[in-house]
Amino acid sequence: MNRKILNIVVNGESHQLLIEPHWTLLQVLRNEIGMMGTKENCLEAECGVCTVLLDGRAVNSCILLAGQAEGCSITTIEGIGDPEHLHPLQEAFIECGAVQCGYCIPGMILTAKSFLDEHPGCRPSREEIREAIAGTLCRCTGYRKIIDAVETAADRIALSGAKQ
Amino acid sequence: MSFDLHRPASVTEAIDLAQRFAPTARYVAGGTDTVIQINRKKIDPVHLIDVACLPGMSEITETADAFTLGALTRYRAIETHPAFRVNLRALQEAASVVGGHQVRNIATIGGNIVNASPAADFVPPLLALDASVDMAGPNGQRSSPLLNFIVGPGKTALLPAEIVTNIRFAKLPARSATAFLKEGRRRAMEISVVCVAACLTLEASTSRCASVRLAIGAASPKAFRPEQAESYLLGQSASKENFAEAGRLAAEASSPISDVRASAGYRRALVAVMVERALETCLQRIREQDQ
Repeated sequence: MNRKILNIVVNGESHQLLIEPHWTLLQVLRNEIGMMGTKENCLEAECGVCTVLLDGRAVNSCILLAGQAEGCSITTIEGIGDPEHLHPLQEAFIECGAVQCGYCIPGMILTAKSFLDEHPGCRPSREEIREAIAGTLCRCTGYRKIIDAVETAADRIALSGAKQ
Repeated sequence: MSFDLHRPASVTEAIDLAQRFAPTARYVAGGTDTVIQINRKKIDPVHLIDVACLPGMSEITETADAFTLGALTRYRAIETHPAFRVNLRALQEAASVVGGHQVRNIATIGGNIVNASPAADFVPPLLALDASVDMAGPNGQRSSPLLNFIVGPGKTALLPAEIVTNIRFAKLPARSATAFLKEGRRRAMEISVVCVAACLTLEASTSRCASVRLAIGAASPKAFRPEQAESYLLGQSASKENFAEAGRLAAEASSPISDVRASAGYRRALVAVMVERALETCLQRIREQDQ
């Protein structure tokens, strides 16, 4: 087969892999690197569970050819916090009870992070948050608490930014 | 499913690759349509040429009298660009309803145009701005009005191995505004049932229409400009009655189909109402600027 070398940085760690040209970033993350936090579902960029950050911006890893991410830096849910050092979004999701089955949550948190990082220090309205997560579906339909959590996290991030 | 992924370093190299591997080669940019089409086995390219990595093609450039958008400009860049917040709002309104946040971070406006979907949301605002498309190919560079560039559903005027490099449009005169309206079955992540863009300029000190450009998507095989509706309004007062008549003329000029999303009759009724509302929105925006 015509495998090619792929160089990517995932959660700060450099990887050099041999990949098939048709593999998506999702396949590489799960099957080659073993990062299972990035979920697989629709494979058509409709549901958002496969969301990762590509150089800081949320994208659907299910329809991004891994080869197109050559030289890029990827952040998955495993890369934004750990049990001892939760990201403010992760803290807020737990506190607000925003997690039901949990399947959409990695994508939801990374979509929210990408959105909040675009407007440092801003407190988006609930409507803006709803719009930002429109491409990330929760089929438990627990959106109200998810929006509560993003709002809470945005407030805290804005406050901690103001203190610094 | 198997293909080779090529990553050229320049437009020239991309064109060379496309020529060398024709007819089994295909350009890919953000991939948000191409990769889905490959997965659905609708297309089966042997050579994918990744143009997303080409340098200098995602810039938004403003000169004294025009804007140039690189073909690789992402929707999110349009949505957040400060220069489009006043009289070019239609661009932001259309960019903000393409897919979700994740798709808008990577999908390119060049890709939307080259796909030539009759329901492409970003095409009507560009038609309303009378945009031109710059292309590069084996025989050099050329330009075409966007109206002629899109030939039919999924069909463009691109010749083999040609690639879109820029989209250009002139800045609007004083007392101008644009608006974009979309109707779908739900508010987000939806293919348009009908979408409408309007660009209205009023005479210097009257409420008469000095220039009108309308563009309608998803109501004919390709997005179109209802010329009769436009010329009806020229020199006329920007009134609710005249806007309604323009809507009626635009609906008459449309040729929608019935499909899973809506019936042809419903689409035609939408065209009339949405053209009227888009013009009213433009008028309101011009009045806000006047103040």
